[in-house]
Amino acid sequence: MATEKTVSLSAEAKAVAARVGSLRDFLAYLGEHEQCVSWPDPVMPEPDIRNISVAAGNNVSTGPAVIFDKIRGYPGKRIAVNVHGSFGNLALLLGLPKTTPVRELFFEIIRRWGSDKPLLERVAPEKAPVNENRIDKNINLYDLLPLYRINANDGGFYIGKACVVSRDPLDPDNFGKQNVGIYRIQVMGPDTFTLLSIPAHDMGRQMLMAEQHGKPLKVSVMIGNHPAMPMFAATPVGYDESEFAYASQMMGAPLRLTTAVNGTDILADTEMVIEGELQLNQREVEGPFGEFPGSYSGVRKVPLFRVTGVSHRNNPIFENIYIGKGWTEHDTLIGLNTSAPIYAQLKKDFPEVAAVNALYQHGLTGIISVKNRFSGFAKSVAMRALGTPHGTMYLKNLILVDENVDPFDLNQVMWALSTRTRANDIIVIPNMPMVPIDPAAEVPGKGHRLIIDATSFMAPDNLGADPHLVDRPMGPEIDALMQRLSELQKGSV
Amino acid sequence: MKTICPRCESTGVTQMHAGMENDQVLWRVWHCKDCAYTWRDSEPAESIDPKVRPAWAQMKGVDFDSLRQVIPPAHKPT
Repeated sequence: MATEKTVSLSAEAKAVAARVGSLRDFLAYLGEHEQCVSWPDPVMPEPDIRNISVAAGNNVSTGPAVIFDKIRGYPGKRIAVNVHGSFGNLALLLGLPKTTPVRELFFEIIRRWGSDKPLLERVAPEKAPVNENRIDKNINLYDLLPLYRINANDGGFYIGKACVVSRDPLDPDNFGKQNVGIYRIQVMGPDTFTLLSIPAHDMGRQMLMAEQHGKPLKVSVMIGNHPAMPMFAATPVGYDESEFAYASQMMGAPLRLTTAVNGTDILADTEMVIEGELQLNQREVEGPFGEFPGSYSGVRKVPLFRVTGVSHRNNPIFENIYIGKGWTEHDTLIGLNTSAPIYAQLKKDFPEVAAVNALYQHGLTGIISVKNRFSGFAKSVAMRALGTPHGTMYLKNLILVDENVDPFDLNQVMWALSTRTRANDIIVIPNMPMVPIDPAAEVPGKGHRLIIDATSFMAPDNLGADPHLVDRPMGPEIDALMQRLSELQKGSV
Repeated sequence: MKTICPRCESTGVTQMHAGMENDQVLWRVWHCKDCAYTWRDSEPAESIDPKVRPAWAQMKGVDFDSLRQVIPPAHKPT
């Protein structure tokens, strides 16, 4: 239920939100903070772009976005990767210093989560930058985009970070039911592509509806977007909630929308929009693709789309992502937005929940810190987490730690595991729903869940010998001392 | 030499695009109509040489109609 609440932002956050209206704006802003580089040398599409993308993403804290504009065989074309590949880049988007700890980024996202007043501006199509160029005939995706193979054994060239807009085939005028999601897209020909979704996802539901009822399903594939868009296109929001609205609310600044030729809403400042239509009941051989669990998905038959038109800005940027064995840009892009809704949903019923870290491979492992209300309480919280919309499919391994353990500090989590886990007190729940591409599934789509309660013991538990905790000094005084030591190390004092 | 698909070894392959540099063809992109593999002839051997590609990634002799459907079609295609 919308309450028209808006988020109150710091002056820095307001300045960023006002300034960043597109991918181009964000790349320029990142560059001013040493968080975006242009690769100076000519590169081959393979393996150079893959290798440089991996190298940029290896520095999870402050790895830069990378722009390629000397791609051999693609004169004049540009690619951007790793735009969301470091927490430093996400911090800058939120108007925070690029060294902001991940825990603080999580709480900034949480603080903005309660905002639910859509901030959307309409731009006439003839004034939208995305419409600077239009192609309706002789469409050739191989010529329009500097396509390349992301992982060595992918089945083809993938568009991995596009935000795909589609209308509900049975309720096409409903703005809220219009979906924006990130799905893997394999280019199959000059004007065809496959798009992989599953029935549990909004797009999968729409494909099923369209084919069941013989209705057209038109999509707009937006490439190179406002940086808030891919963060929220990948967030599990309700079916009738608009990802456009979420993205604008979280930024606290308007997003500019216009209408595509096929009638969907699109970002007016996006780099390129490929309009396509589902070829009802037609399938093509798709995959494999190096997916986020770090293994290749199999080869499958996947729905086929035909391109009906392409619009793009002058000198467009093909924004893409490296995804594969973690850590990758995929994990940074969606990690905080995976954690936040789980936290918000748990917090409603259990105010004792202190934080949720579901950064790991889309939440296949999650860590929840919670104050035990009574003995065994953390296990009940874990069960509730498994019943959240995202938890139903994704939360496979759950670790519960005390409220004074920072779930974003893995040294602290390991302390809790080392000193609080009783091997006969772990829970395995067999034959639960599971992400089909999880290689640890018993069969694709089914597998076991694991709950490790690493919270402190309470009566009537046997407390064991020596249960009294050391009161470790912490807080602002210790933070100030750490700062002082850091300055002494640099020789500045 | 006739170009074959590096994955299923079909001869049903089509050139999709050519990358140019100084008015010379630098590479070509190919697509297989049978297994839908797409490749660039400038790629490392691990992606485009059937002798170097891992055995699990090869599809010679595979019945493509038997592949798993992620979203099964509601009706027969018209």
